[in-house]
Amino acid sequence: MSPGRGGLEAGARTGVLVVEDDPDLAALVEMVVAEAGYPVRTAADGAMALARVEEEMPGLILLDMRMPVMNGWEFARAFRARHGRAAPIVVVTAAENAYRRAEEIEADGFLEKPFEIEEVLVTLARFLGPRTEAAARL
Amino acid sequence: MARPPRITLSPVRIVLVYAVVGAGWILLSDRVLLALAPSMADAARWQSVKGALFVAVTSALLFLLLLRFRRERDVLSSEVRTILDGVADAVLVVDADRRVEDANAAAVRLFSASSREELLGSLEALCERTRLALPEARAAALEGAGPEATARRECRLRRFDGREIAVEVSASELPWPDGSPHGLVAVVHDRSESARLESAREEFIATAAHEFRTPLAVVKAYAQLMRRRGQGDASALDVIARQVDRLTRILQHLLEISRFRLSSSELEREPFDLGELLGEVCAALRERTEGRKILVTPVFAPVVGDRSRIGQVLLRLLENALRFEPLGGQVEASLVVEGDRAVVSVRDHGPGIPPDRQPYVFEPSFRTFPAQLPSSGVFGIGLDLSREIVSRHGGQLWFESAAGRGSTFAFSLPYAPEARA
Repeated sequence: MSPGRGGLEAGARTGVLVVEDDPDLAALVEMVVAEAGYPVRTAADGAMALARVEEEMPGLILLDMRMPVMNGWEFARAFRARHGRAAPIVVVTAAENAYRRAEEIEADGFLEKPFEIEEVLVTLARFLGPRTEAAARL
Repeated sequence: MARPPRITLSPVRIVLVYAVVGAGWILLSDRVLLALAPSMADAARWQSVKGALFVAVTSALLFLLLLRFRRERDVLSSEVRTILDGVADAVLVVDADRRVEDANAAAVRLFSASSREELLGSLEALCERTRLALPEARAAALEGAGPEATARRECRLRRFDGREIAVEVSASELPWPDGSPHGLVAVVHDRSESARLESAREEFIATAAHEFRTPLAVVKAYAQLMRRRGQGDASALDVIARQVDRLTRILQHLLEISRFRLSSSELEREPFDLGELLGEVCAALRERTEGRKILVTPVFAPVVGDRSRIGQVLLRLLENALRFEPLGGQVEASLVVEGDRAVVSVRDHGPGIPPDRQPYVFEPSFRTFPAQLPSSGVFGIGLDLSREIVSRHGGQLWFESAAGRGSTFAFSLPYAPEARA
């Protein structure tokens, strides 16, 4: 996990938007986030993610970079243009230089694939506040 | 046909031979003249014969000499022609008036010209027509000798058939003996294929990283999740997570090797203290390996190079040594200055590398004990790259090992006491 800029500025919003094209990984992250006690939604590409954001602004966006239809770069550009820094973005990338990918889109943090479950939990806690009771199960 | 012998006569020798022949002629012919012509009237007649003979003999010698020179020149130019036409890159020979006076067969193909003649003539006109951009050969010639005297640049070339290709152009001046230029030779290398391959390779690297890491992330996270939930065999799940980490490291190493080989301009050149770097790497490793013992005797050793790359080499050698060092044992790292080089050695007291495996140590997928210790790690990954990094710094990497008596891996770098970090 990198030092990020986001912190808790997203306010009371606690929802997490997982943007990931690999269904297995998306399901896994969704399960981890849900079990940690945070509301979670998923999107398989950037365009779908933009639609989810329009429905409801999440408290944190976990963003894969390489996706079909609309990739992470395009999503970040469109998101910033429409919503500025309304929600922190944490890049979840398989790229070699994860921090560089994060810098490119001015993300608030990054997770390198393959990541530790603990890293995901720390990230959630940092951007969304402490875990709920349900998280004890994890 | 037998090749005529090369003329080794230097101008000084030719003149000397001429002087000796001339002097000998004068001395001998005067004596002969005295014997043959006792009277003055005869002497005058013989004098004319003597002069005529001298001119005839020297003319014949001169003729033979010039004939030899001409034959030699013909042979040389046919050799040059054959060499030029055998070269895969396009070669243009340009004279002092910047006119293309010769072009090889590859040039005809590269420019898609109908004949050699189509390329000859004004260089400027050719450059304008094809957008060929020649590098500044004069500046390069003034800057250095040897390979540095060749200026290079990359540009896009529009062939006569309209197709555009990526080329690398190098230009070298043709100097007179006093160094002043009387023309230049331009070599145009077709980079379209290698440029295509390079970008395909980069694309492959990026794709491979992504395609491998996502499934690895899924496997690892599920193993960890099951472990946290107390499902399944805990030790088996730990093995899965550990092996995923190992696969990730192997992938990382392979990608590093590919990327490193792609670009030769990646190395930084800054002065730094090799002793200080060795100390830092050892300290970091001790922390990471929870106090595994590394005995280090660093000295001050200024060198010039890429500090982070050399740091990677040190890390690889020390990690390998730790991997093979028996638990409780001590890896020894040392740094000494030997003449004009600084030498780092890393020694372990592990099983050593059997002699029959030693020739393969720098192979990309080398394993020390494939049969006995299947989990002993991929030793070669890192070592082949390490060796490449060191040799790009003008140093060497080598090892000594005997079965049962551990291994010592060492590398040298040029010692640069004048460099200030």
